[in-house]
Amino acid sequence: MLEFDAVTKRFGPVLALDRCTFAARPGRLTGFLGPNGAGKTTAMRAVFGLVEPDAGQARWRGDPITPAERARFGYMPEERGLYPRMMVAEQLVYLGRLCGGAGADVRKRVDGWLDRLGLADRARDKLDTLSHGNQQRVQLIAALVNEPELLVLDEPFSGLDPLAMAAMADLLRELAAAGTTVLFSSHQLDLVEDLCEDVVIIDHGRVVLAGELAELRAAVPQRFVDVRYRDGATAHVPVDRATELEAVVAAIGRTSDVVSFSFQPPTLSDLFRRAVAA
Amino acid sequence: MSGPGLRQVWLVAAREMRERSRSRAFRASLLVMLLVVVGMIVVPALLEGRDGPKDVGLTGAVPAELAAVLEAQGQAVETPLRLHRYDTLGAGQQAVRDGDVDVLVVDARRLEWQRSTDEQLRALVTGAIQLVAVRERAAAAGISPDDLAAVVAPVPVEEVELGRVAGRSPDDEAAAFVMTVLLFIAISTYGNLVLTGVVAEKASRVVEVLLARMPARRLLAGKVAGIGLLGLAQVALTAVVGLVAMAAVGTVDIPAARGGVVAWAVVWFVLGYAVYAVAYGTLGSLASRTEDAQTVAGPVIAVLLVCYFASFAAIGSPETGWATFLSYFPATAPMAMPNRIAMGAAAWWEPVVAVAVSVAAIDGLIRLGGRVYSGAVLHSGPTLKLRDAWRRTPGPGRPRGVALGLHRPAHR
Repeated sequence: MLEFDAVTKRFGPVLALDRCTFAARPGRLTGFLGPNGAGKTTAMRAVFGLVEPDAGQARWRGDPITPAERARFGYMPEERGLYPRMMVAEQLVYLGRLCGGAGADVRKRVDGWLDRLGLADRARDKLDTLSHGNQQRVQLIAALVNEPELLVLDEPFSGLDPLAMAAMADLLRELAAAGTTVLFSSHQLDLVEDLCEDVVIIDHGRVVLAGELAELRAAVPQRFVDVRYRDGATAHVPVDRATELEAVVAAIGRTSDVVSFSFQPPTLSDLFRRAVAA
Repeated sequence: MSGPGLRQVWLVAAREMRERSRSRAFRASLLVMLLVVVGMIVVPALLEGRDGPKDVGLTGAVPAELAAVLEAQGQAVETPLRLHRYDTLGAGQQAVRDGDVDVLVVDARRLEWQRSTDEQLRALVTGAIQLVAVRERAAAAGISPDDLAAVVAPVPVEEVELGRVAGRSPDDEAAAFVMTVLLFIAISTYGNLVLTGVVAEKASRVVEVLLARMPARRLLAGKVAGIGLLGLAQVALTAVVGLVAMAAVGTVDIPAARGGVVAWAVVWFVLGYAVYAVAYGTLGSLASRTEDAQTVAGPVIAVLLVCYFASFAAIGSPETGWATFLSYFPATAPMAMPNRIAMGAAAWWEPVVAVAVSVAAIDGLIRLGGRVYSGAVLHSGPTLKLRDAWRRTPGPGRPRGVALGLHRPAHR
């Protein structure tokens, strides 16, 4: 389990992290959300010692994170970057060995990942001869090459086409199912809603909402009634969760014209807007 | 440094060596360097070889013995002379103008040259003329050729070069001079590679991936070590090729430096390079773009130049307090201490102490550099100020634990 305990970081006049406290649990996907400049990247960097907190602590399995633990973490920074003139496989083996693996094991893992992501034939090419999408894949392998127990991905979905996005989502699900703790940031709330069990929403360096997504949604006293009629008209009505469904249905009228009807807790988008606006 | 730390430093160093030795730019520059060295040795030898046999023109009244004496003298100093006779002065002068002969001897009393005088040839020809004249006069005075030979037999005169310092030859002085120049060139060349390497890693943003895996000081140490080892190999290869070329053309005219002096020069190359390379790397981390690399490294280049000239100035006076200070100060020691060693001005323990001082300075620089580095490498945009980079990472000295205690209760 990754825990942030009141982590505070100030850059000059800017309070980037303000007693930031949350947890990411093993075997689950945790979405890390927040508007631009909320402190997501700073928090992720703090996990890897790239940012030294002024106060508070990031912990892994209850203990402060040391370089030995970081060797079992994977990180994909927001600013993607690898050696442009280095051969793909060699570069990945180098990055894997920096985490402490034996050469032969790392090489085998690299080959496995290259194979799986369809890059086996590019293994001996220089990175900068690859397309943008393929470079992104290599960057992802760089984060996975040490079989991390904790995977931290900063905006892993940005710049991906819909197919690559789906492949990335499947991969993350698979890793989480295998027991990896996965924390990733994203602005694509639909995707996060679809993918994550847990979310952490951060604003101005402070955690404004955190927990299991289903519980967070259920905890909101509002429900939304969405109705679509045969002539294309729609209705979006917030009601209290205590409202009887029958009363709602009765209130709709013209029941014979209804194409679809839903009575739902707020979406992640709604939660996000409420949390950040507050 | 712990086991995994050393392993990471070695991995970084190995990558530097592998990637750089593979690059076309490196191979091309190495080839050019080797060609220049071989050329510098072989071309003068070839030019020297060309002025082997000399052409001497004779015109006007020529003593009967002169031709024979000239040839004998030429043989004696291994400069074969080819003699050409010209019936008229005009024909002889034309031959000089055309470059057919190197010198024209007129009436055995005047030498005519096309342009500058060839001192060796002049000595040879005038010597022969004098000898012939002396023989003629001796014969006229009734002295037998044997008596004459005994009279004019040369007295051997020995030559000794004292140099400026007792106990050391000018060869040692020349060796010290050459070493200071070479150390300066090597330090600035390979220091610059560290600088551009650091900036390139920052510009390509790979540095964030790397620093998530290891502390900045290991990355810096590995990079400096890798480029240094490659540089050492390159210098060694050049030296070997140079020696082979010299042996091949037979002009072993290098200052005959003592083995110990050369060994110390290698030690000081390593230390001097490390001091400056760490400084180059640290300042390099402040720039975000390759174009800014030289600008941020300005202070190191300035310090290196000042230290170079200071060390240079101290070559002639290795016994002074000033030279002694320079030979201990880490920024100047690599260039000043080899000189004092070569000049025999340093007691045996002095270089040992100076090495210890330098090693301590390098260790400190790597720590300082690592801190600036980690503060600066994740900063993109305009070039960072050194002071700001320092402040971006709170050092281990700050009372972090106190602040931490406020937010964290004692239970765990």
